[in-house]
Amino acid sequence: MSDKLEAYLEEISHFLSGRSEREEILTDIRSHILEKAAEGAGGTANDAAIERAIAGFGPARRVAERYLDESRPIIAPAYKRFLFRYTTLLFAIHTMLTIVAVIFKKVFIVFPFLFMPRLGVIEALMYLPTAFLADLGIVMMVLYLITQSGKDIRLPWPKFAVDINEVKPPVLAERIFTGIAAFVMLGLTDGAVYLFVKYHAVFFVNLNWKDPRPLFTPDAGRRLSLILIAMLATSTMSLFIKILTKSRWVDIVGDIVSLGLIGVVLTQPWENLFAVRIAEDLLPKIRYGAKFILLFIAAFITVDLIKHIVILSRRRLNPGTSK
Amino acid sequence: MTEKERTERDIGSLETEMNRGFLHILVLALLEKDMYGYSMVKLVEGLGYKVEENTLYPLLRRLEKNGWIASKWDLSEDRPRKFYAVTAAGRSLRAALLEVWKTQIRVLDQVTKEIRHV
Repeated sequence: MSDKLEAYLEEISHFLSGRSEREEILTDIRSHILEKAAEGAGGTANDAAIERAIAGFGPARRVAERYLDESRPIIAPAYKRFLFRYTTLLFAIHTMLTIVAVIFKKVFIVFPFLFMPRLGVIEALMYLPTAFLADLGIVMMVLYLITQSGKDIRLPWPKFAVDINEVKPPVLAERIFTGIAAFVMLGLTDGAVYLFVKYHAVFFVNLNWKDPRPLFTPDAGRRLSLILIAMLATSTMSLFIKILTKSRWVDIVGDIVSLGLIGVVLTQPWENLFAVRIAEDLLPKIRYGAKFILLFIAAFITVDLIKHIVILSRRRLNPGTSK
Repeated sequence: MTEKERTERDIGSLETEMNRGFLHILVLALLEKDMYGYSMVKLVEGLGYKVEENTLYPLLRRLEKNGWIASKWDLSEDRPRKFYAVTAAGRSLRAALLEVWKTQIRVLDQVTKEIRHV
């Protein structure tokens, strides 16, 4: 028997693994190839004729797929679009819990779906891609089980806020409004940079520029000022780009940078923060109040980020829709 | 990819889809007489049509699984051959499919005639 034929059948067998009738299929193919090769070689199948017959039958993987093509898909076409939709929603919740875990140094466990240890900002940034893959896996598993059940299950999806048709082409008035906002933000950014260059801080407790009193101690004030300038600069750049394009990517990048900067603010030490005297009993209240506000902003940005990602993914899954 | 290449690719993929139903009818019609796989390929080729071998065999398996054809190995020759024949259920299916196909041809004829008149 030809080694080439055996190798070819072995390859098909590999791609058919798990099929109960694998041996019968291989016997059919062997019989056909030997028959064709024998006829091509004038009665006796030689190696060259077998090779030609194999080439005529096609690549092993494609042959195996022809036998497999009637099997039920892993995820039915009707449910495919829910894969990304549900993953993004789940990931949004996961991201919010991550932010809460970072801020309040909490551990979350929803066995076996969620385990979130106490995280710092860097750990959280490294944790999120893993969380995304875990969320994707959970959604895939659910959709797989629904598909395999063979039942016609209508999966829910909220239409509010993430309707793909809400994306309208940019209009002139909108561009003018964005332009004005961009210049206002540019003014604020310039002002902040001017103050920082002159006083090494942008947070003050008075508006007397001859003798300004900074709110924070020099080191903390410098760090927080730079973070604020970075936030203002990000918003300014984002607005200027949005005059030219309505691409969702601008919002996505802007949101990610803002979340990162909020994360950096949250990791700043609270000791020796204020340069002015603040009553002892007020300090914890200020600290929790600031954390709460930052958490609220972070949650708001996260929801916005997820919304943009969902709309972008839906548009990619429905190429005929508006940009 | 040029426009011509894209059109050829589209025709190829649509032809594959059209062939699926056609091959069912063709095989059920051919197997009124006992035949083995390769003999069917040669016969059809002789009629000026090409059946992809790696499509025919999985189709035969599916038809047999559904009870529309039956097979038996013939070991009397030098080479063992698997012969297939249509079953009673297969004949009923063939008749029904031929009706569908004739209706499709009639509708298509009518529509293309009307287009030519326009």
